[in-house]
Amino acid sequence: MSNTVQVTFVDQHDNTKTSTTTQPMDATILDASHSAGIDIEATCGARGRCRTCRVKLLSGDVPPPTIQDTVQLGHDEVRENFRLACQTKLIADVTIMSMPPKAEAGHQILAGGEDVSQDGRMTLDSGVVKHLVKAVAPVEEHHQTSDLEEILAVLPEGTDRDVNIEVLRKVPTVLRDQGGEMTVTTFNDRIIDLEAGDTTEHIYGVAFDIGTTSVVGTLMDLTTGERLADVGGVNPQAVYGGDLMSRIAYAQFDDKKLQTLRARILNAINDYIKDACAEAGISANHIYKIMVVGNSCMHHVFLGIDVSYVGLAPYAPVVRDLLVYPARDLPLKAAPNARVCLLPIVAGFVGADTMACVLATRIYDSDEIRAMVDIGTNGEVVMGSKDGLLACSAPAGPALEGAQIRHGMRGAMGAIEKVSIDDEVHCTVIGGTPAIGLCGSGLIDACAKFVDAKVMDASGRFRKDGRDELPPAVAARLHDTVDGIEFILVPTEDSGKDEPITITQADVRQLQLAKSAIFSGIVMLQRVMEVPDEQLAEVMMCGGFGNYINTQSAVTVKLLPDLPLEKLTYSGNAALMGAQMALLSETERHRAFKLSREIEHVALAARMDFQEIFIDGMNFTGENFTRPKRSDARRAAAAAAVGD
Amino acid sequence: MSDDPELQYPTGWEERAPEGWEWENLWKAVETGDHGYTHDRVTEAIEAGIDPRDILDDGLFPGFNLQGDRFSANIIFIPEMLITARAMKAGLALIRPLLAAMAVKPAGVFVMGTVLGDMHDIGQTIVSIMLENAGFTVINLGTDVHPDRFVEAIENEKADLIGFSALLSTTVYYQKVTIDEIAKAGHRDKVHVLIGGAPTTPAWAEEAGADGWGKDAMEAVKLALNLMKEDRVAWA
Repeated sequence: MSNTVQVTFVDQHDNTKTSTTTQPMDATILDASHSAGIDIEATCGARGRCRTCRVKLLSGDVPPPTIQDTVQLGHDEVRENFRLACQTKLIADVTIMSMPPKAEAGHQILAGGEDVSQDGRMTLDSGVVKHLVKAVAPVEEHHQTSDLEEILAVLPEGTDRDVNIEVLRKVPTVLRDQGGEMTVTTFNDRIIDLEAGDTTEHIYGVAFDIGTTSVVGTLMDLTTGERLADVGGVNPQAVYGGDLMSRIAYAQFDDKKLQTLRARILNAINDYIKDACAEAGISANHIYKIMVVGNSCMHHVFLGIDVSYVGLAPYAPVVRDLLVYPARDLPLKAAPNARVCLLPIVAGFVGADTMACVLATRIYDSDEIRAMVDIGTNGEVVMGSKDGLLACSAPAGPALEGAQIRHGMRGAMGAIEKVSIDDEVHCTVIGGTPAIGLCGSGLIDACAKFVDAKVMDASGRFRKDGRDELPPAVAARLHDTVDGIEFILVPTEDSGKDEPITITQADVRQLQLAKSAIFSGIVMLQRVMEVPDEQLAEVMMCGGFGNYINTQSAVTVKLLPDLPLEKLTYSGNAALMGAQMALLSETERHRAFKLSREIEHVALAARMDFQEIFIDGMNFTGENFTRPKRSDARRAAAAAAVGD
Repeated sequence: MSDDPELQYPTGWEERAPEGWEWENLWKAVETGDHGYTHDRVTEAIEAGIDPRDILDDGLFPGFNLQGDRFSANIIFIPEMLITARAMKAGLALIRPLLAAMAVKPAGVFVMGTVLGDMHDIGQTIVSIMLENAGFTVINLGTDVHPDRFVEAIENEKADLIGFSALLSTTVYYQKVTIDEIAKAGHRDKVHVLIGGAPTTPAWAEEAGADGWGKDAMEAVKLALNLMKEDRVAWA
């Protein structure tokens, strides 16, 4: 009997698109898809805890469904030959229909926002300087000199004599190519490139924010600070786990898998550099500085550093310092000696991305106490003023990114992002298409509107009794199923799927855990700093995701503290903006290091009162109409006494 | 089906209670988490001379189990469950000394904790309270517990069961490590091992070599009670 099987994948939307791969027996369909070059996402890290890797068996045999297949997909889907690709082992030749998330191309990724260079408070001192010089090749044999010495002689004093081997290899040609006219590029006085002729006009750099979910970058002119091109997309590692922890778990104690993650991000970044250069019409060889920020896990994986222990208490990173490496060591496709710089990590999961947000929001310079919240799978909170900053990282989990939500999806085309309820329910869908799911901001908005419309109470429970008090069209959307109550946002006939788009009671519970984690982070820092709500001058929401959240809804669901709405602001993609600032300015880059050592990290899980704050934070605002009042028992007793 | 769970009336409670006695208020008090009132009602029941075991089974459990079932069905959530657990605890505090005096044996000795590398304990707190409520003696080792400490604790306590949760995808691995260490110490057949936590699955429980996996706190308690009926090698 042969030990291998043939797996053929057919695209759900285009059945002429197929690809076939040969796999060892007992590999999973997910493994097969990855070697066939098909990205089936496994948001939970291939643990059978979500349904993103759902596929359909078209022909051939697979083992009986596992418990996880049944739990995640339900009996009906399993009977229709749907399976979780991560749980299904190969035992025979099969044909599988992959179900790629539709229209992921429409994923809203927030780029840089306004030009950071327009900010008058920043000095343009990228550290990269081009010197146009004319050096003369040695002519007299008795002169005890060398090509390099002749070049150094015409460069400013203080230029580092220690020259990289690749630069050295260029010396003889460049010196003689155009009669000695050459452009010497230095980074902080160290020669990183030599070119014949005058190329002083061309000094570029790229800033990247590598997020767990998405990657965004900006190509910039380092001389003028001008933004030349924005690039970005979904982090290609996401197929190996949607949130930080499942990403770490995937690569934990397994160097090969770590390298897989690393290769994915490097390829993506190299592609983005290529795209950005093409868009701006420049050569990648003129990119001399690359600024990278990301959370501790993304940072380490990008460098190929083992993240095993980052995922375990006490969650210590391997390195926190400002790092600078030549591009060819990564490798990134820019000038071979371009400097790849990483911002420092504060502690644990308060990473280089948070550091970038601190730079961009200038919270360190504020007279009043402000807070900055990066809302994502890990919600980082920084609070303070020029007198000092505190930071913490709240494990919100992937629910706000749409994972572990029945109809959850990222903020892409077809996602419900806004909900309003009057006598009817109205949903706003990204791209104006029929709804195929619900993104994090949509989930928050929906729950806030449920509370306002009394479809749900403050405990997060869907209304069971007294539905006749609701507008009939709204009441009709509450459905009692065997798995509990669910609310139909979009009925089947209007949805872009062959089923209604609903929010289940379990979805609401997931949101409660996620938002309470972030809310508790804010409350905890307030408590440590002894700052009541009234003294908070501003809460700034950072991150691509934060910008799409309705602030009133965020207050209603208790994701953010109950401040006047004008104090709740959006800061755009602050992590990318901070990266741009550190790209354009060495002052900013070094400021980040200084700040990273001054910010005090508050470890939430280690604090005794965190649990109590977290539990308190699980409720929404509003009233509790379904929960029996505490005094009911007493009142019943009193009534019974009277009855006697 | 799993529509709203209903209060399960303890069968035959009327015969066990004094003439005209009414438990309804206590059921409601535990359900709504009114710990002050629970305390008062239990005190009254004790003064009325009702057998502490009956106070527990007929008076406290119905309201508690109702909330537990609702919790399992996602109808109520962690805050409400904890409020009910607190009321239950208030009642138990009065009864436990009486049970001990009557030499009523605990349902079992349960050692628990969160595995090495993991600092999270909210789920564990709930499980721990629920197990105590169900009559277990619970030794909670806290978070970030080294396998050696688990082994030491089950030896010292002559534990019947051991349970550990992992709340991070990165720490589930240590559930298996801990089970392996228990086996190495030669105790695997003396304790029943339960695991749980958000990133875990029944499949993982099997792979890690556990005896059971609980979806939630309620299930963990039922599982623990069932496992107590199974044979084990006795502690020396």
